Amino acid sequence: MANVIHAENLSLSYDQGKKKIIQNAKFTVKRGEFVFITGRSGSGKSTLLKSFYGNLKPTEGSLMVGGLEMTTIPRRKLQELRTHIGIIFQDYKLINEWNVAKNVVLPLMIAGFSLDVQKTQAQRLLKHVKLSNYANRFPLELSGGEQQRVGVARALAKNPLMILADEPTGNLDDYSSSVIWDLLENACLQLETTVLVVTHKIPTVFSLPYRHFTIEDGGVYEIH
Amino acid sequence: MRYIKEHIMFILPMMAILLGIEFYLVFDRMTSSYESALRDGYSMLAITQKEMKTEDFKKLNSEISQSTRIDKSEIVKQISSNQSQKDTEDIIKALPYFYTLKLSTYVDIDSIESIKKSLLKSNDIKRVETFGDSYYSKYRLFSFIKFTLKIFIFFMVLVSLFLVIKQMEVWGYKHRQRIQVMEIFGAPLMLRSGVLFKVALTDAFTATLFIVIFFAYLRFLWAGSSGVNIMIEQKDLLFQFNDVVILLTSAILIVIISVYSVVLGIKESEE
Repeated sequence: MANVIHAENLSLSYDQGKKKIIQNAKFTVKRGEFVFITGRSGSGKSTLLKSFYGNLKPTEGSLMVGGLEMTTIPRRKLQELRTHIGIIFQDYKLINEWNVAKNVVLPLMIAGFSLDVQKTQAQRLLKHVKLSNYANRFPLELSGGEQQRVGVARALAKNPLMILADEPTGNLDDYSSSVIWDLLENACLQLETTVLVVTHKIPTVFSLPYRHFTIEDGGVYEIH
Repeated sequence: MRYIKEHIMFILPMMAILLGIEFYLVFDRMTSSYESALRDGYSMLAITQKEMKTEDFKKLNSEISQSTRIDKSEIVKQISSNQSQKDTEDIIKALPYFYTLKLSTYVDIDSIESIKKSLLKSNDIKRVETFGDSYYSKYRLFSFIKFTLKIFIFFMVLVSLFLVIKQMEVWGYKHRQRIQVMEIFGAPLMLRSGVLFKVALTDAFTATLFIVIFFAYLRFLWAGSSGVNIMIEQKDLLFQFNDVVILLTSAILIVIISVYSVVLGIKESEE
């Protein structure tokens, strides 16, 4: 299977290198894998995830995502890469002045799909996350769990190469969390999408085989 | 109500800027016209020993646009009504040549003095009269009015620009979340700016329309019946079709700069 992410001596830092977060990390993630990234608060889990979608450039080493070197990636290529990544946030990051259907098809809108395609896909995706009747509602009218399902539907909209989820169940109750884990498992299983999830706690009920990385003192270690 | 308020907050300063631009255009046309009138009404008197042509004066100073010889017989007729025909002819022969000189541009009093000096360098010119006093007072008054109006327009535009910047901050706050999310999902600059462009361009067109209607009203309806002579005579200068193009271009330019400043100013994450 092809590598989706390959890090070699990867270092990440803030404040122009003064605040080091990740140092000399070396790992590979292949297509279709499900990966959990855990670690204490402030260990650098979210920072690592941000580097995968180019929100933070590596300060040292090499980071290849989808075959592109993130240390030198030009702006236009980064935009193109991002259209192949679905991102899920703990705080959902939905656009509050847009209705649910419009939020869901944002990646399709960016890719320039016609309104008809967007409409059809919105119905399909909302059915998939069991929110068919919510198309015309606005995010602030939904519960946290429902908003996160909209976030998952948005991440799946363009059958992405990979899904990056930053604490996707961090704000949810057990039932809503299990719905989100199911959706992510299905995406990995049925669409062969690589899924990387940053979380405090790996779910106890999880049917897919997965890899587990943990971050400690700036190092990224795989737990077997 | 909130929707109207949001639009008015951009339409009003935009209207003030466009009003400033249109005032400047009208004022510029008015002053050019007035300058031409002053320039045409002003002439110097040159007294020469021999007959000279306009080209000869132009060679001495390029500001001279036209020279007209004053008929000596007319001068002599007024001062020698009791003289014989022969005496009159002798006087005419003895008299130098008189020319009125027109200038090509409206110049200040120092420039008039320098023109006078350059003319007197020629041995053929005996004397030059500039009639500086009346010209000088008109020039000073005119320059003062011109300066104060330009200062007024400048401050009007400046204050309006500050209001536009204030509105840009409101836009930044309101659209931050949407722009950040769109950027994370790979939206190009044009798509991220789309909504803001739509709002700002609508406001810009509305502001332009109001200003165009106002000045068109002044020209076509108000000026003719205003009873103010200068307005009746110069009503064509109040508003011209070119102004619509200038106003619209300025409005669109302000929108482009404002929207891109807002969108590019929004960082993807707060770290």
